[in-house]
Amino acid sequence: MNTRLVAAAAILLSLGAGAFAHRLDEYLQATIISVENDRVQVSMRLIPGVAVSSIVLASIDTNGDGVISEAEQRTYAERVLRDLSIMVDGKSASPTLVSQKFPATEELKEGLGEIQMEFTVDLAPGGPQRRIVFENHHHNEISAYLVNCLVPRDPSIRILRQNRNESQSFYQLDYAQDGGSSDPLTLKGWSTVRGSMGAVGFASIFRLGMRHIAEGTDHLLFLLTLLLPAPLLALGWRWVGFAGARHSLWQILRVVTAFTIGHSITLAIAALGLVRVPTRPIEVLIAISILVSAIHALRPLFPGREALIAAFFGLIHGLAFAATLEELGLGRWERVAGILAFNLGIETMQLMVVAAIMPSLVLLSRLRSYSVLRIGGALCAGGASVGWIVERLVHVNYSVDVLLNGLAHHAVWITGGLFLISLACSLLPKFLNTQAAATEPRPGRTRTVPQGVSGFTHVD
Amino acid sequence: MNVFSLRTLCGVGALALICSSVTAAKAQTATSRIVSAANIFLAALDEKQRQSALFAFDDQRQRARWSNLPVSFAPRAGISLKELNAAQRSAALALVSSALSRRGFEKVEQIMEGDEVNRIKEGNNQIFGKDLYYISILGKPSEKDPWMLQFGGHHLALNITIAGERGVLTPTLTGAQPALYTSSGKTVRPLGQESDKAFALLSALDENQRKQVILSYRLADLVLGPGQDGKTIQPEGLKASAMNDRQRAMLLDLISEWAGIIHESAAVARMAELKTDISETWFAWSGPTTATPGSNITAYYRIQGPHLVIEYAPQRLGGDPSMHVHTMYRDPTNDYGRGIAAK
Repeated sequence: MNTRLVAAAAILLSLGAGAFAHRLDEYLQATIISVENDRVQVSMRLIPGVAVSSIVLASIDTNGDGVISEAEQRTYAERVLRDLSIMVDGKSASPTLVSQKFPATEELKEGLGEIQMEFTVDLAPGGPQRRIVFENHHHNEISAYLVNCLVPRDPSIRILRQNRNESQSFYQLDYAQDGGSSDPLTLKGWSTVRGSMGAVGFASIFRLGMRHIAEGTDHLLFLLTLLLPAPLLALGWRWVGFAGARHSLWQILRVVTAFTIGHSITLAIAALGLVRVPTRPIEVLIAISILVSAIHALRPLFPGREALIAAFFGLIHGLAFAATLEELGLGRWERVAGILAFNLGIETMQLMVVAAIMPSLVLLSRLRSYSVLRIGGALCAGGASVGWIVERLVHVNYSVDVLLNGLAHHAVWITGGLFLISLACSLLPKFLNTQAAATEPRPGRTRTVPQGVSGFTHVD
Repeated sequence: MNVFSLRTLCGVGALALICSSVTAAKAQTATSRIVSAANIFLAALDEKQRQSALFAFDDQRQRARWSNLPVSFAPRAGISLKELNAAQRSAALALVSSALSRRGFEKVEQIMEGDEVNRIKEGNNQIFGKDLYYISILGKPSEKDPWMLQFGGHHLALNITIAGERGVLTPTLTGAQPALYTSSGKTVRPLGQESDKAFALLSALDENQRKQVILSYRLADLVLGPGQDGKTIQPEGLKASAMNDRQRAMLLDLISEWAGIIHESAAVARMAELKTDISETWFAWSGPTTATPGSNITAYYRIQGPHLVIEYAPQRLGGDPSMHVHTMYRDPTNDYGRGIAAK
C-alpha cells in the first residue's frame, strides 16, 4: 500500500508539466442514459488517469503484448457490463453491447485515452411510473463517476426524479410514461409484487450484500485477521503451538457467529432509521478494528475473548453496512425485507470465504512455520489499516484499496494456492518421514533390498 | 457677404462630410468589420498558410476539433500564431478581437497569458506558451452567408459562427491554469468573475433555495465537455422561477460572463434571448459552499436553460482545484450556429 503511495507521488513528480493536463489518479467513468419507449440506450466514456492507467490497462491488455486486440476490446467491454447492475422496475435487466471504441495503448498510458462504449437495455411494457437503477462497480476503488440522463425525445416520457449516492456509483431514475401498458393484469400484478417486495427486489439486495463483502475488503480483512491466531494457544504474552483441530473449528465458529450477531444488530437498528451515525468516523473505527486484530494476531491482547471483540467491532461494521443499504432509498416496510436480504447476502459471502480459508488455516497452524503466515498476515493487515486510518482521517484518497482490491481480484487463486501449500506442507513431512523410515538402514532389511533400489534412494 | 456665404457653405459642407462619414462608420456593421478583418488576415498569409487556415463550412471534424488539453496532446488544425510573422500575427489577433467584445478579448488574452506563465514556470516547456493558439476559418468570410471563425489552444476553444448580422459563440470552452497569477505586478484571474458572481448568487439564496440548488453528489468533471456535442441532459437544481427578481438579475449577470464574450451587438441579442428564458433556467451547485475572497471557488456549478448550458468545473488534478478551472458554454439548439445557419 505504501509503495502505491510512493509510486503515485513519483508519477506526480516525474510528470512535472504533464500534471497540468492529464487526468491523474482517477478513472473517470461518464455515463449518459437515454430513455426511449421500449429500450434504454446507454453510452459510457471511460478515461483512466495516468496514475491508475497501468491498473486499468492490465485488465484490458490481458496478454500484456502492448496491443489491445479486437478480442480484448470485446472482453473488456463485456467485463464492464458485468460490473454494472441495472434494474428496471425492481427486476434485474441485462444489457446488450452495441459498440466499443478503444484508443491506442500509448494514449491510455498517458491518461489521455478515452474508451467509448454503447449498450442497450430492452424494456418490457410497464406501468405509468417506472424506475431504472444503474449501479457501477467497475474499478470502484479508483473511479470517479458521472451519470446523467438526456431529456427524452419521446414527449410521452417525463423524468420525475434522479437520485445518486455521493460518488454517483449508484444512480436511480424515476420517470413517468403516458400510455404505458394498459393491460390491467400486468399492471396490477406488477404493482402488488413491487409493493410487497420493495422497488429494488429481494434477489438484487441479496447480491448487493454479497458484493459488499466481496468488494468491501476492510470487512473481510478484519475477520480474517481475527481468525489468524484462532487455532493457536496463548501463553501469557505469546502465541504458542496448535490448540487442536476441535478447538480451532470451535474458535472460528464462535468468532464468525459473534461478528454476525454484532453487525446484524446495528445493521437492523441503523437501517430502520432508529439511529443515524455519520459515515466517516465509522470508516475510521473500522480501520482501527483491523489494526486491533492485527496486533492481536502478533501478540495475544485478549486471548479467549476473541468472540467478544468480534461482536463489539461487528456492531461498528454493521453501521457501515447500513449506510450502503440506505443508499437504496427503500421505504420503511421494504426495509425489513431489504435488511434480511442484505444480511443474508453478507452472511453467505462471509461463510463462503471462511469455508474456503478454514481448511488451510487448520492444516497450516499445526506447523511451526505457521508463525510466518500469522506474522506476515498481521503486518500486512496492520499496514493496510494504518493506511486506511490516515486516508479516512485526512481525506486523501490514495490507493490502499487499489492494491488490496488488486489482490482480491485474484482471491480464488490465492485461496487455492494457500490450500495447496498447506496441503503440501502437512503431507510432505509425513511423506518424507515414511520415506526416511523406508530408507533407514536397518540391519535386518538392508540385505533383502536389491541394490538397484538402494541406488535410487541415494538420489534424494 | 459673399465671403461669409462661401465660408458657411464650406462649414456646412465639412460638417455634412464629417456627419456622413460618422454615419457611414456606424452603418458598417459588426459583421462587415469581422469580414474585412478576416479578408485582411487571409490576404496577409501566403498560399500554403492560407490553405492550412481554411476549411469547408460543413467540415464536421474541424468543427469538433477542440479540447481543453494542450495542443501537443490534442492536436488542433488551422494555423498557429507560432507559424505567423509579426504582421500576420497582429492581423490574426485583430480578426479575433473584431469578433469579440473588449471584455471577451481581454479574457482570451488572460487565458493565453496564463499558458505563457506555465511555459516560463516549467522551464520553457514547449507544450505551453501564448503562441500555441490556432486560428481557422470555415467557409468563406461573408456578410450574408454563414461561416465560422475558430480560435483556440490549451484551455481555450472559441467557435464563432457568423450568419448575416447574427453571431453565435456556442460551443465555447474557457479554462485557466493557473487560474490566478501575477502579471506586471497585477493579480490576474482570467475566470475570476465566473467564480465570484456565482458565489455571490449562492450566498444570496435562502435556506430553502439552497436545499434545492446544492446537489448531494460529487461532480469530478464537465458533463458536456469536448466531444459531447448535441446532448441535452435533464436539468437539476433550483429553477429560476423560484428565485426573486434580484437573484434572477444576478443569474443573468453571471451568464453574461460567457454570453458577453462575443461582440456587443451579438451579445445584446443573445442576452435578450436568455432573459426571455430566465424562469425556465436552472442553477445547480456541487461541492464546497464557502470561498476565500480573492481566490476562486472549488465547487462545480451548472446553469441550464432551454437555449443554454454553462458548466464551471474546478479540476483536482495537479493540486489546488481553485487554481485550475474548465468551463463550458453551449446552446443545445444552436451549437456551431446550427439553428441560424440553416435559415
